[in-house]
Amino acid sequence: MSRLTEELIQIKQEGAAAVLATVIEAKGNGQVEPGAKWLIRDGRLKLGTIRDAGFLQAVLQEAETRLREEKSKLVELQVPQAEGKIEVFFEVLPSPPKLIVVGAGHIAVPLVRFAKILDFQVTVLDDRILYVNRERFPDADEVVVGDMAQTLKGIPITPSTYIVLITRGHKYDEPCLREIIHSPARYIGMIGSRRRIKACFQRFRDEEKIAEEILQRVYAPIGLDIHTETPEEIALSILAEIIKVRRGGKAQSLSGH
Amino acid sequence: MPGQGTCFEGSNAEEKKQETIYHQVKEFLDKGETVAVATIVSTRGSTPREVGAQMVVTAWGEILGTIGGGCGEADVKREAIEVIRTRKPRLVQVDLLDDISSDSPAVCGGIMNIFVDPWWKERDEEPSERR
Repeated sequence: MSRLTEELIQIKQEGAAAVLATVIEAKGNGQVEPGAKWLIRDGRLKLGTIRDAGFLQAVLQEAETRLREEKSKLVELQVPQAEGKIEVFFEVLPSPPKLIVVGAGHIAVPLVRFAKILDFQVTVLDDRILYVNRERFPDADEVVVGDMAQTLKGIPITPSTYIVLITRGHKYDEPCLREIIHSPARYIGMIGSRRRIKACFQRFRDEEKIAEEILQRVYAPIGLDIHTETPEEIALSILAEIIKVRRGGKAQSLSGH
Repeated sequence: MPGQGTCFEGSNAEEKKQETIYHQVKEFLDKGETVAVATIVSTRGSTPREVGAQMVVTAWGEILGTIGGGCGEADVKREAIEVIRTRKPRLVQVDLLDDISSDSPAVCGGIMNIFVDPWWKERDEEPSERR
């Protein structure tokens, strides 16, 4: 059996997600003691033992919720057998967030730089090698040249993937959106004026029969309302929106102004 | 022009990969040492760092990482040395309301509950068994 630290290091190296549950307090229970740990990965108990099936279920379920919210939390769990309560800290070990930037135009340049500062794994994608190359995007983890919608098909998309569609025109954004709209991506944002987006969504409704709740997943027009004027400011407003989605804020001034 | 999906790998993506505190913990355990991992498990009011922030304390009181600095951190360090000695975890409450008059930048006015947990090699091998 491998050691806990080895497993934790491997999870990090693989870029995988997991939850480490630690008993903080055990009231009226003789079975576990503070400091006992369980590692949960891929919906299963990876390290440690839990004999009570009901308690195992509760731990796995809570781990699932923690991972979805990407938030560590102290949780009180009931132990039916021992009629006791256990306080368990669920430490989330999230996989690094991935950002896919589709379209390598003037907004993409500051967007990729800012996203790297914010510790995203960044892939930038365009069909024009003059725009998408190492010189223009030295910080990007991956720079991909190819038909944008086709290439998106081959990129793995998970619940920690964020996708920004900022190509040079709706002619290109639409097929890309079609490719990813049913994906598990945490965020899909698409640039464009309200009028053009309305027309695009109407086509999706009529021609593709895409349901309203699926369309409502798309953040379009993209970004937070901070009256941006420059490409850098637009990039910032897009990333601010992504952080809002990831962390769950209200995006208002904390002062109330 | 490169074909569809041509990919240029990130040049320094590998070295940029962040280490977790568990890399450091493992190194200590491999040397036969016991260390304490202090984790903020809950907070109330305004605190310098969020739930989940961690630091490692060695038997000599060396600190890696931070849970907010200031007097609270010093208290936790003292507790951690005891935790390492006894190999029994403790839940430590740091009350930042106490020293509101202090000059410390860590004064925020909140309360942090910090779990101080000993790690040693045998524990690392059987993390859920009773000691």
